[in-house]
Amino acid sequence: MKPARFDYIRAADLAEAHDALAEYGNDARVIAGGQTLMPMLSMRLVRPKVVVDIMHLPALRGIEAGGNGIRIGAGVRQAELLAWPGLAEHLPLLNAALPWVGHAQTRSRGTVCGSAAHADPSAEIPLCLLALGATIELSSRRGRRRVPAADFFTGMMTTARAENELIEAVHIPGKQAGSGCAFKEFGRRHGDFAIVACAAIVTAASVRLAVGGVADKPVLRDFAIDDGKPLDEALDAFAWALDARDDLHATGRYRRELVRQMGRDTIEEARRCHA
Amino acid sequence: MSVTVNGKPFDDQPAPGQCLRTFLRQLGHFGVKKGCDAGDCGACTVYLDGEPVHSCLVPAFRAEGREVTTIEGLAQGGALHPMQQAFLDAQGYQCGFCTAGMIMTAAALNQEQKADLGRALKGNLCRCTGYRAVEDAIAGRRDTEDARPGRGVGHNVPAPAGPDVVTGRARFTLDVAIDGLHHIKLLRSPHAHARIRAIDKSAALAVPGVVAVLTHEDAPATLYSSARHETRDTDPDDTRVLDDVMRFIGQRVAAVVATSEAAAEEGCRKLVVDYEILPAVFDPETAMQPGAPRLHDKGPQARIANASRNLVAEMHGATGDVAQGFTAADAIHEGTYFVPRVQHAHLETLCAIAWIDESGRLNVRSSTQVPFLTRLELAHVFGLDRDKVRVFCERVGGGFGAKQEMLTEDIAALAALKTGKPVKLEFTREEQFVGATTRHPMKVTVKIGARRDGALTAIEMHVVSNTGAYGNHGMPVLEHACSEAVSVYRCPNKKIDGYAVYTNTVAAGAFRGYGLPQTGFAVESAIDEVARMIGMDALEFRRCNVVRKGEPMIGLHEAPDDVIYGSYGLDQCLDLVQAALMRGDGDEAPPGWSVGEGTALTMIDTVPPGGHYSDTYIWLEADGTYNMTIGTAEFGNGTSTVHRQIAASVLNASPLAIAFTQSDTDHGGHDTGAYGSTGTVVAGRATQRAAEALRDKLLDFAATQSGVDRAQCKLAGDAVDCGGKTIALGELFRIAEAFVVDLSAHGTTNGIPRSVAFNVHGFRVAVNTTTGEVKIIKSVQAADAGTVINPMQCRAQIEGGVAQALGAAMFEEVVVDTEGRVTNPSFRHYRIPAFADVPHTEVLFARTSDELGPFGAKSMSESPYNPVAPALANAIRAATGVRFYRLPLKPDRIHAGITAAG
Repeated sequence: MKPARFDYIRAADLAEAHDALAEYGNDARVIAGGQTLMPMLSMRLVRPKVVVDIMHLPALRGIEAGGNGIRIGAGVRQAELLAWPGLAEHLPLLNAALPWVGHAQTRSRGTVCGSAAHADPSAEIPLCLLALGATIELSSRRGRRRVPAADFFTGMMTTARAENELIEAVHIPGKQAGSGCAFKEFGRRHGDFAIVACAAIVTAASVRLAVGGVADKPVLRDFAIDDGKPLDEALDAFAWALDARDDLHATGRYRRELVRQMGRDTIEEARRCHA
Repeated sequence: MSVTVNGKPFDDQPAPGQCLRTFLRQLGHFGVKKGCDAGDCGACTVYLDGEPVHSCLVPAFRAEGREVTTIEGLAQGGALHPMQQAFLDAQGYQCGFCTAGMIMTAAALNQEQKADLGRALKGNLCRCTGYRAVEDAIAGRRDTEDARPGRGVGHNVPAPAGPDVVTGRARFTLDVAIDGLHHIKLLRSPHAHARIRAIDKSAALAVPGVVAVLTHEDAPATLYSSARHETRDTDPDDTRVLDDVMRFIGQRVAAVVATSEAAAEEGCRKLVVDYEILPAVFDPETAMQPGAPRLHDKGPQARIANASRNLVAEMHGATGDVAQGFTAADAIHEGTYFVPRVQHAHLETLCAIAWIDESGRLNVRSSTQVPFLTRLELAHVFGLDRDKVRVFCERVGGGFGAKQEMLTEDIAALAALKTGKPVKLEFTREEQFVGATTRHPMKVTVKIGARRDGALTAIEMHVVSNTGAYGNHGMPVLEHACSEAVSVYRCPNKKIDGYAVYTNTVAAGAFRGYGLPQTGFAVESAIDEVARMIGMDALEFRRCNVVRKGEPMIGLHEAPDDVIYGSYGLDQCLDLVQAALMRGDGDEAPPGWSVGEGTALTMIDTVPPGGHYSDTYIWLEADGTYNMTIGTAEFGNGTSTVHRQIAASVLNASPLAIAFTQSDTDHGGHDTGAYGSTGTVVAGRATQRAAEALRDKLLDFAATQSGVDRAQCKLAGDAVDCGGKTIALGELFRIAEAFVVDLSAHGTTNGIPRSVAFNVHGFRVAVNTTTGEVKIIKSVQAADAGTVINPMQCRAQIEGGVAQALGAAMFEEVVVDTEGRVTNPSFRHYRIPAFADVPHTEVLFARTSDELGPFGAKSMSESPYNPVAPALANAIRAATGVRFYRLPLKPDRIHAGITAAG
């Protein structure tokens, strides 16, 4: 399979990338790791006029841990984040979830921000960004803005990114002292996209559950802390209220069942971790 | 662009949009394979600056200034990389197509990753091995023995191609650089049923690089079947190379030949086709009704059983009186079972290269299991003398029956004949799902009755097989489905009705098991139910009712045919599985999960009916080694190893002293093909006979030369021992040459009569009743393979069969929507088992020796697949109390079943 013809712009700097996006808008596609874009190009699911390469830009490199959390640049590959020594300490949820992302081979090239940009409803990274209250830093010729993950993921492979914008980085708040987290995924086969994935973050004051693979985007719910039954009921209510989709791999009803079951297990594991 | 590949600098410009995989192959690195071109299978894994990547997902221009390592560059300084050596020692491969990528990934693993192979290897798919051999390799286990004299039959001699496979040197069909090679791309039908009114080629022909556009107007009128069998009238003549009627979405409309693949694809997009849409039918039972749209308006010469009812074949058989049998029964189970479409998913997609040589002869290098039969049919279709056609294969990257079809060679031949150019056709992974073949989906209603004492009183079976738009293999698959699954049971009253029906869906074809996995799922599930009803252990119930040696095997036909009990090991297989399950080993069930055990059996004729032929030619070389030509093809089934072992045993030589070439019609003779599990039992017999004939010639001649009594002469490695006096074989060759004595021999077989082989599978599973998840905590298969010529290979063949069958039992299904469209044509949506999905299977062998097979061997290619799905369903039944009638046994289906049962 051969992609349709496109021009390739190896942006010399961010400004050139911004210019290209301003000029071509939706006819441009940003390429970073290319792990999703390459097959989509080959199968002609996307037919951009230009592909704008940003992977080599020094400005997009690097994982920075600061007082306000962790900034992961658009050039950071998933394998790089996995190998980052601060991962377990600062981002334990991503530490648990990243090994589920794609394969070792795709993690060698695929980027953290690329997965956010693609916004597959079953993908692990958008789910974690949502659960962690991350913000997505977007920039264009006109300027820069930061969008909370909850507002960024708007639907099936659609985001709040404007045509002329690119993701420059994601910002993730560091681990809250005393919090516990857990990640669980259920696929038909190991390495598949999730039928259901759950991420839970538990503190002394709150229980948070985010689920992926169920609706057209990851969904988050904060539960009031209350031991025992009330949480169970709230979880059931949450599961049944989900706009779960039917697809080739599972029915919506089954996905909701899994949320009830796995949601509980994930929260329990996060609690154990918290304790 | 400059790039370093394996330490060598290259300066070449990739085409716009080209991926690294095709770029590397263009530079001659044929070890980089295509399995999917979508980042799902890992066959193209290379290192980019030392990191493993799927080269199909990396834009070629990204390699600028970087260091690429392919399998060809893994070995350093002439020494194999330790991981390559490990894959040799453990024989961590079968067809070898995924192996380069697998080794590249494995060689990059650290200790922590090696401890979690399920996760570490999830980006590398293997369809042959079931991953046990891969695991052995990575763990550093040695499963092979050195090949040396005396290590023939019964030894774990390694496969001859091993060193080439692990270094990426093994040449598969497309691993060749041909000057001026042209590319074929196929336009496929968007309609399930339509007549082509007109095709406007002008825009396509105007695409730069397009050389020809071929349509039904260019194709011969001759009808044939893509299925290949020894006798061509086994299958209906219902297919044209290019037809003017489209009968399924995905059927080829036209072929565009161009100087590049991109131009050929562009040409396809530029074709304008005017279709007259016809009514279509997708459900086989509807298709059988009067008034249903008719797919094939063809006369009796097409050999379609009943074209007006869309029946490619129907068959009926009965013995005794089933009504009376059911009256006498204390328990009756009746159920309708559904087995869906699955795809073979061999890693090397269908492909062929065709050219006309200087003598005007058509040459086809193809990924086929049947080069000789393909040659005959090409000659037939194109009206050529058979001497004007040569078909051969290099190493074939898996087949499982899919390559017992002529789906690329015909169109490649047409393109070569029309353009005079060397041409290549390579299926994409998507084309494998929409335009190749699948297993026949079947709906099987089975009714079985038994008395309380355990005796079967009646078996009734009604089979509707969906053959898709074409009838290739429709009849024989149905016939096979209606045979051994029932004939393995001794029962006075049987009735079987079978229908193979055309529908406007992708054609079904030959698939490992050839119908038996479908009916076996129904019959073995029903047997389990009846055993429950009468309160008898299912294995005990089977023991009471299976045929014993010498008893008639009655399925469709009452009359005995050429199937005999060359040996009988079913009783041992039942005992072995029972003992293994009773041992109680295996994994622990997770707390709170329900546990159950289930079993199933299969019987399979060791050779297809109607004769199966093979020729081997063997001769002594001047240096005292042997050489031979074998007809049968190697596609991962390990037969080339076995043939060497057979010859080595007969000639008392080292397997390494026996060279061979295979699967080339230019070798002369005939070979029906590597299908029906015949690579060892039929072709191996030919090799045994050839080797015996040569041995006799050598000994006769040595006796004459030495003056020693013939009885005192024996072969001893590279010499003949004539009563203590040795003559080196090289010396013998020279003497023979001087006397003009021919030291070559020929062996042949016809595959008649045939024997039976048996397999019994047992599972213990744990089921999470709240999610429907199934964990296999014990898996055991006992096989009656007769004499096991190479235990390591035979074990791997069984493990691979179990893994492939588990995929079909647990998650594989080619989904066809209500308009006849395949909705999951990729490995991302059609999931085949990955490393972590396959449990270890304990493989046990019955001790038997067959009177027909070479050295007492029986077939063991297809049958390991057959009992897996019903054994699993029976185990899940035991764990959950719910009988599942439909495959695959997906967790959501199991969950729904448990919920419905309350």
